Amino acid sequence: TRRRTGEALRAFHTAIRSSPGSSRSQAMKEQAQGTMLKVLTSFKSSEIEQAVNSLDRNGVDLLMKYIYKGFEKPTENSSAILLQWHEKALAVGGLGSIIRVLTARKTV
Amino acid sequence: GIDWAPESNRLVTCGTDRNAYVWTLKGNVWKPTLVILRINRAARCVKWSPKENKFAVGSGSRLISICYFEQENDWWVCKHIKKPIRSTVLSLDWHPNNVLLAAGSCDFKCRIFSAYIKEVEERPSPTPWGSKMPFGELMFESSSSCGWVHSICFSASGSRVAWVSHDSTLCLADAGKKMAVASLCTETLPLLAVTFITENSLVAAGHDCCPMLFTYEESQGTLSFGGKLDVPKQSSQRGLTARERFQNLDKKASSDMANASLDTLHKNSISQISVLAGGKDKCSQFCTTGMDGGMSIWDVKSLESALKDLKIK
Repeated sequence: TRRRTGEALRAFHTAIRSSPGSSRSQAMKEQAQGTMLKVLTSFKSSEIEQAVNSLDRNGVDLLMKYIYKGFEKPTENSSAILLQWHEKALAVGGLGSIIRVLTARKTV
Repeated sequence: GIDWAPESNRLVTCGTDRNAYVWTLKGNVWKPTLVILRINRAARCVKWSPKENKFAVGSGSRLISICYFEQENDWWVCKHIKKPIRSTVLSLDWHPNNVLLAAGSCDFKCRIFSAYIKEVEERPSPTPWGSKMPFGELMFESSSSCGWVHSICFSASGSRVAWVSHDSTLCLADAGKKMAVASLCTETLPLLAVTFITENSLVAAGHDCCPMLFTYEESQGTLSFGGKLDVPKQSSQRGLTARERFQNLDKKASSDMANASLDTLHKNSISQISVLAGGKDKCSQFCTTGMDGGMSIWDVKSLESALKDLKIK
C-alpha cells in the first residue's frame, strides 16, 4: 500500500541521514548496520528504484557501502534483496561508487 | 618519466635506477648528462619548469628533487622538498611563475610547494596561493581524497589546480576562492590523467579508456561531468550464429549479444594526456597515450561539432 511504501522510504532516509559517519565506536557502527539492513530488507523489489533515485550522490555512495557491508555478514535471504539494491544503486552511482567502497578509509 | 623542454630543446628522463639524465642535442646525437638525485627509491615523474632552468623529480623516496644547473661547477645539483610528504610522489606540475610546484602523492594528498631557487631566479611576486615562498614552503594541501593522486594540473593562469585520484574523484582547488576545493565523485573507474583545456574545462581519462570532459562552474564552485569524448560510431549489430550462441553459453553462461571487446579507440587504460596546441587555456588539440601502446590525437573543434551536447566553456 502507498502508506507502507511511504514509511519504508522515510525509514530509509532516516537511516541514511543518521549514519554514524566518522564515529569510531564499533558498537554504534554495528547498530547502524543492523538498522540499515532491516530497512533494506523490508523493501519490496518494486520500491527499490524509487528509493535509490531519491538519494543524492553522497547518499548513493553511502548506500553502496552499506550494501557491501550487508554482503559481508549475510543472513537468511538478505543477499537476494541486497543484490537487487546493488543493481539499482550501480545504475545510478556507476562503477565509481563501488571504487569508493573499496578505497574508503572511513568504513560504515 | 620523461619531459621535453621546447625552448631549449632538451629532454630530461628519470628512472627506477634512481637517476635522472638531461639530454642535449649535439649535431644529431642526443648526449646525456647524469643528474644525481640523492634518492634511494625509484624516480616516478619529472617535469621541466616553465623557464626550463629547473626540473622537479617525484620519487618513491617520498620527496621531490628540485634540480638546477650550477654554473661554477658545471654540474646539476638538487635540493629536496620532504615535509610533509608521506608517500610516493606520482605526479608534478609547475605553476606559470616558475616557482610554485603542485605534487600529487600516494598519501592521498595534492600539495603546492614553493620550489624557489635563489641561485637561478628572482624572488617571486605574490600569487593567490600566498606571498611568502621560501624554498619548500607548503602553500596548499588538500584533504578530500581517499585515493592515490595519479595526476595533477595547474590551469593556464595558475590560479586553479585540479587532480584525479584512485577513489574515482576529480577535485579542483581555486585560489581565487580562498583555495576552496570542489570535488566530483565520478561514476567512472579511476582516472589516471587530467589536464585543463580552458580555464573552466578539463579533460581526464583513465581506466575506462575514454577521455571525458568536465566543467568547473566558478559561480557555484562545483564540478560536473560534461560527457565522454570517445563516442564510437554505431556498428551494425549482426546476428549471432547458432554456433556463437552455443559458445557464449558454454564460456559465459549467457547467450548475450554484448560485445566482449571495448568500443573505445583505446583498448586499454589511458595513462597520459598532453596538450599539443593552444596551451591549457585555449587547447585546440590534445594527445592521449595508453597502456595499449596507442597514441591518439584529438581535435577539440571536431569534437565540438561531432558531439552536439558537448559544451566547452
